[in-house]
Amino acid sequence: MNPPERLLDRLPEWTRSIRFRYTLLYSAVLFGLAAVVLAAIYLVLLMSLRATPVSAARGTYCPRFGDCITVITFREAERLINAQILNKLRFYSLGALGVLFVSSLGVGWVIAGRVLAPIGRITSVAREIQATDLSRRIELPGPEDELKQLADTFDAMLARLDAAFAAQRQFVADASHELRNPLAIIRTNVDVALADPDASPDDLRQAIAVVKRAGDRMTLLVDDLLALARRQQPTPEHEPVDLGAAVAEASEDFVVPAEARGIVLDRAIAEGVVVSGDREALKRVVANLLHNAVRLAPPGSRIRLATGSERDRAWIAVADEGPGISPEDQAHVFDRFWRADKARSRADGGTGLGLAIVRQIVESHGGEVRLHSKVGVGSSFVVWLPVARAAAEPAKR
Amino acid sequence: MRVLVVEDEADLADAVARGLRREGYAVDVAYDGDEALDKAAVNTYDLVCLDLNLPGIDGIEVVRRIRADGERQPPRVLMLTARDRTVDRVVGLDEGADDYLVKPFDFDELKARVRALLRRDAGRSGALLEVGDIELDTARHEAQRGGRPLALTPKEFSLLHYFMSRAGQVLSQEDLLEHVWDENADPFTNTVRVTVMTLRRKLAEAGEGQPVETVVGRGYRLREGP
Repeated sequence: MNPPERLLDRLPEWTRSIRFRYTLLYSAVLFGLAAVVLAAIYLVLLMSLRATPVSAARGTYCPRFGDCITVITFREAERLINAQILNKLRFYSLGALGVLFVSSLGVGWVIAGRVLAPIGRITSVAREIQATDLSRRIELPGPEDELKQLADTFDAMLARLDAAFAAQRQFVADASHELRNPLAIIRTNVDVALADPDASPDDLRQAIAVVKRAGDRMTLLVDDLLALARRQQPTPEHEPVDLGAAVAEASEDFVVPAEARGIVLDRAIAEGVVVSGDREALKRVVANLLHNAVRLAPPGSRIRLATGSERDRAWIAVADEGPGISPEDQAHVFDRFWRADKARSRADGGTGLGLAIVRQIVESHGGEVRLHSKVGVGSSFVVWLPVARAAAEPAKR
Repeated sequence: MRVLVVEDEADLADAVARGLRREGYAVDVAYDGDEALDKAAVNTYDLVCLDLNLPGIDGIEVVRRIRADGERQPPRVLMLTARDRTVDRVVGLDEGADDYLVKPFDFDELKARVRALLRRDAGRSGALLEVGDIELDTARHEAQRGGRPLALTPKEFSLLHYFMSRAGQVLSQEDLLEHVWDENADPFTNTVRVTVMTLRRKLAEAGEGQPVETVVGRGYRLREGP
């Protein structure tokens, strides 16, 4: 440890406060300024007035009657008086400086205290706010000054944290709710099957099939939850991805299911569009969008999947001729566990997380996803991504 | 005792219904709120097992409407919920549900709670019912007369259970069909008459006298005294 640090450590606690340092600084500056001004006045006077001390007087005059008196010239008298005035000036100046020093310390201490009081309030409130109670705010009163801005910034940060924690809690509650239903199915079916001594092999086989279905559903859900959680971490490594190839690859899996439902899957994929990102995640975006489209579009309809780029942005569009989404529902489709039709979506194996995952992946790539939909006409989802390097090749249909 | 199971997860609803049917209850199933209200309007249920989170009309609204039907004695309501937050249960209980179970539940616990709720109507506190020399253990599913066990089919057991919980009252064929049989029973067959007949035969074989009387033109009655 070096000496200055040890010296600082030996000082009492209060000397380390900003208030103390501020007081010292204030006092020193005031004292210094006053000293300079006074010294300047003194020096100017000293130079402009010729002052000679009394001892410099010469000659005496002794009248016939009475005592002798010292005789000086008028000029000498003037100088003598000047010397005394300068003396007094010096004396009072030094006194005034002393008084000023002491009073400046006091005034500085009071002013510093007043200026720093809001900081004390901010500190004490911030200390009281624990992770469990983010609902409190500093709510600093007073004019719109720097400290109020600081306190307001803290409040805004607390509000964001509060909202984030609330969303997290809601997510956990929703996730547990979604997991409880298949768990209840498994448990009840097993309980009922086990409790029946006369259960036929067919009954048992049926119970096992139900349990398998519920298990599959939980697997999907857990996969989706993990996909969401993974994307919540700091951005994973991004690499150049050939968007056209990734989209084509992801869409392959949907050709057969679409055909099985009598749906035509039209693909218009532009080549040479490269974005920077996570290839698997981008494939998942396409898969989730197509999964919804294939599930919801009526037989005999057409789903169009297209990609392309426009200046520095690449896009992926999935348009269906499905039932469409009403304007009030459009605000919710990207929410976790939101379903337009709960019963049907669950039966089809929808977890209610597909579009939430889409949005999260797209946003973590610095892009955005837009929905255009009209009830009875269809929906189209357009994903915009920043492009890494666009080739000159035009989109082919 | 007639039970309505309301649950949008078909795999769960069917399993609960199957399990409760084996306990001798007459069980109907509704897969959403509208269907539940339709069935509750047509049939008289002693108990409704209700999932709170339903598509369409939600469970709370179903409870509210079932309780608002002033004409009949409202059924007991057992909520099934996947939400374990207190506020969800409080709302349900405030709206008139009698009890709740959080999913996933133990089926034995569901059975016990169903029995407990149905006992409330009979004003009893235990699982054991006793009328005259007939004893019925709803938990163990055993019945005996004068200490001699009765070998009853589930339907006969339910019938006896219903007679014993309404001892001394005259119960018409329609009452019995309504509370002991589910909606799949054909009201135009003589299934009620046949089941009452076999129950009476088994009771007569086990002891002195016939406790189930025929009240001509009105129905049947279980005598309260010996």
